[in-house]
Amino acid sequence: MGANTVEIINEISEKLQKGKAKEVTALVAEALEKGVSPESILNEGLISGMNIIGEKFKRNEAFVPEVLIAARAMNEGLKVLRPALAGAGVKPLGKAVICTVKGDMHDIGKNLVKMMIEGQGIECIDLGVDVAPERVVEAVKESGAKIVCLSALLSTTMMGQKDVIDALKAAGIRDQVKVMVGGAPVTQQFADEIGADCYTLDAASAAQAARAFFEE
Amino acid sequence: MSDNMTAPQRFKAYLSGMPVDRAPVIEWAPWWNLTVERWLKDGLPVDCAGTEALQEYFGLDKCLQTCVDCRTSSTPGAPGPGLGIMEDEADYDIKIRPTLFPDPPAVISEEHYKYLANTHERGDTLHFFTVEGFFWYPRVMFGIENHLYSFYDYPELYKRMCDEYAEWLISVFRYVFSRFKFDFMSFAEDMSYNSGPMISKELFDEFLAPFYKKVIPVIHEYGVPVFIDSDGDITMATDWYASVGADGMFPLERQAGVDVSLYIEKQPSMAFIGHFDKMCMKFGEEAMRKEFERILPSMLKGKVISSVDHQTPPDVPLEYYKIYVRLFKEYAALVRHNDGGIQPCPVFKTPEGKQDNDQP
Repeated sequence: MGANTVEIINEISEKLQKGKAKEVTALVAEALEKGVSPESILNEGLISGMNIIGEKFKRNEAFVPEVLIAARAMNEGLKVLRPALAGAGVKPLGKAVICTVKGDMHDIGKNLVKMMIEGQGIECIDLGVDVAPERVVEAVKESGAKIVCLSALLSTTMMGQKDVIDALKAAGIRDQVKVMVGGAPVTQQFADEIGADCYTLDAASAAQAARAFFEE
Repeated sequence: MSDNMTAPQRFKAYLSGMPVDRAPVIEWAPWWNLTVERWLKDGLPVDCAGTEALQEYFGLDKCLQTCVDCRTSSTPGAPGPGLGIMEDEADYDIKIRPTLFPDPPAVISEEHYKYLANTHERGDTLHFFTVEGFFWYPRVMFGIENHLYSFYDYPELYKRMCDEYAEWLISVFRYVFSRFKFDFMSFAEDMSYNSGPMISKELFDEFLAPFYKKVIPVIHEYGVPVFIDSDGDITMATDWYASVGADGMFPLERQAGVDVSLYIEKQPSMAFIGHFDKMCMKFGEEAMRKEFERILPSMLKGKVISSVDHQTPPDVPLEYYKIYVRLFKEYAALVRHNDGGIQPCPVFKTPEGKQDNDQP
């Protein structure tokens, strides 16, 4: 990469970390005009920026609002970049189905994980909140997703995560997906008890774990 | 449990770092409806299902909450869970603002003032007054997710809303506390989750602190201690709220990794309510005793008032809860604070706070 290319990609990453969506969008367009490869813009600019904000989030150096505005900037940048990525044959790393389980209406944690996962170049199929296990099974079958992310905020709804795992087993597709669980009352012990593949404490760690699944 | 102090006297002495006949034995939160439904099946008399009746039934010190907010019956409701009632300046100024801020005499009925006075006179009841804090209030207005964007998208609107809200709160405090002196008050905040605060210290200092610094001195003028109610891991947030003059925090959830023994070291002026790990209760007496043993040193050393750290779960049988209360009283009786060395809460360092707990 030439000096100018490095400079503009670094600038994309820095502006993304500050949540400057308009500036990220303009810089992505400018980088494309200058002939920077879409893959470099994605990986070294947008994803790299999200990784840095994710690490800061894990260390309590960045907080939820900063992650949200960074993820929003990434999504705006992606809108400009996506046609160029398609044109260059760059595909998402894979697909993940994400939702808050049945009986639970909380979506901030789920949305945060979704944004961070998308920030890793993974396509997310967001089923929303209060989602029945059958709907998750259906979405996995339709999309071919390899990851299922299940959120629950309440100790009264966390068993809904087990219900989804049971439904995946009953549908004969449990082995085709990695099930990730999270939320305030969820612990590693609970994840083990219900047979989930992965529990993470925070959204940034969830995104890293999701990426690791695709890179296995 | 033989009592030599009334509940309000004990509570004030405890927060003042003075000797007490025992620690307060309270539940600050109402019981979970699912838990009460389970207890009714376990044999709880039907006429004991309300909050005050349950406190009486279990023999707890009564602790009752009076909540007010600045919205009125004309204020539009949220279109769904977690969603806001406004988006931007135009919404606030045209649609919402005209419906807010009822006159202070209208926020509590005359009937309720009589109830407060009568129950307080008995000496067995603590009363606390609750309003929304400067994180919670904008969250209700913007909705959960948009609220988190609002620090960056609508910073001036956020501050104007909180400034107007703070002015209204001051008028409410002056009116209400001149009618009835609550034993303490709480700001509902819930600004932390299981990994720490949802916002940075910088955002706290810019968007919340100025308004707390405006209203807390007014509350302290009336000698009322101020608690912040924030779930989750409040280890960092406790220091932030201490810096704006708060007297205490609750409920200090164990599931979020909170350890009150650290808090009494780093914020010795503050009082802490809660912290008893609700998740141990289903395992019976031995587990609950172990939990009291964990908290006892902090109760002896600081102004820690043990209480279930956010509502007893429905998997706890009625008989187990009775055991919990028995153990609670046993351990509360061990706490006398006779040796001194316990700092008073900030409010009780002021001339107003040092006055007797007389009603106006």
